[in-house]
Amino acid sequence: MNTLTAFTRWLENGGVVVGQIAITPIRGSWELRHVEDFGDLQTHTRWQEARILANLTDEGAFRPIKTTRDLRHGWRLVLSTIADVVRALDYFYPAMLGLWNAADLTITDFRETLARQSGMYRITQKLTDDQAQELIGKHCAGCMKTMLWRIDPAQPITSLPPEKHARAGFPLLCREACNFLVGHARAVVKQSGG
Amino acid sequence: MLSKPNSALVIVGHGSTLNPDSSAPTFEHAESIIERGVFGEVHCAFWKEEPSLRQILHYVECDDVYIVPNFISEGYFTRTVIPRELGLDGAVTQIGSKTVKYCEPVGSHGKMTELLLHRAATIAPGVPPGETTLFIVGHGTNLNDNSAAAAKREVERIAALGRYGEVLSAYMEEAPLIADWATLASQPNVVVVPFFIADGLHSYEDIPVLLGITSESPGAASAGGASVFAGNPYRLRGRTLYYASSIGTEPGFADVILDQIAAFDSAK
Repeated sequence: MNTLTAFTRWLENGGVVVGQIAITPIRGSWELRHVEDFGDLQTHTRWQEARILANLTDEGAFRPIKTTRDLRHGWRLVLSTIADVVRALDYFYPAMLGLWNAADLTITDFRETLARQSGMYRITQKLTDDQAQELIGKHCAGCMKTMLWRIDPAQPITSLPPEKHARAGFPLLCREACNFLVGHARAVVKQSGG
Repeated sequence: MLSKPNSALVIVGHGSTLNPDSSAPTFEHAESIIERGVFGEVHCAFWKEEPSLRQILHYVECDDVYIVPNFISEGYFTRTVIPRELGLDGAVTQIGSKTVKYCEPVGSHGKMTELLLHRAATIAPGVPPGETTLFIVGHGTNLNDNSAAAAKREVERIAALGRYGEVLSAYMEEAPLIADWATLASQPNVVVVPFFIADGLHSYEDIPVLLGITSESPGAASAGGASVFAGNPYRLRGRTLYYASSIGTEPGFADVILDQIAAFDSAK
């Protein structure tokens, strides 16, 4: 089943919330808005506008990771088809619908990610296990993704609350550490004289 | 016209953790191709932004997948990072049921010359090319990066047309330096076109300072300050200088992405 069909069924089965976005049927269209927003909102009607809406926080800061809990408020996006809703959600939460629907999703543990780094990120291979736990506890806690990977097969992540590893609601899945975390790992190793 | 309803296109960009300007043209070219309905699926994937190179092949649905790097030149990213992150071992890689076809970067395409000429003419309307020095500016000195060679190649092609009084390449970090533009240029008019993918940190914030058209960084293009392009032409050091937006923001880049796919098909 492709992602569009799977997501259509999810909506038909009463699904409403993806991340911080509520999706509701309104007079033959679909309305997307921040779950905390009500009342008078600025209306947008093109799926492409989701990219602009997802770019910045309420304070105007850039959101390089789109699953942080800081989606801006004050807008509603009204789209006529579920295909456009899927496109818009792929801007709000890149890759998340696709990974949700992917068959046989494999995970890549953190050591494997670091082991293949080259150039300026090769140094991250010196990150100790303790440093990795601390780094993940600090940087991944603010992200809504459900963490599927481990430090290595023998070492789960212990620096995050249990709910970070549970699939609740519409699952936003993290199958491998992001480059943002690898960048922070580089900074930690350099600071510790690596 | 290209028609691939059973194929997926993945356009790969560098992206940035600092601002949305670096990835914006890649997304815009993808949107343009989506609207044409050429492919069954169109995705972007980035090194430093989402969606990540690490995720993309886990959810592309078509079995026939074209990867086009939205990069100016062959180099570290196109030869090392992208193949490694996607698990590619050559021009065609079989990954499970997927046949993944790795195309040349957009900047290598022969149409670049035409796009650079178009951009140069658009930024300086009515300015006689015969009395103009055209600079094609690259980064230079990047790790295993051939952006300098790519800029030189374009300069040779444009110079061979004989339209401009002078055509020069210059770089941010290696000689000839773009900071020395006034001594390098012999013509009264100067047109500067950055051979970059986006109006990101280098072309929007660094090069204007090196040119002297602004004394300090104007901030990111998306930050909402006065556009550096709004000041054109700049009267500076006895010349009239026009500073263009990066070549990668040309809408014609979407056609080049499709051309690279056609080129891949005809070569295989």
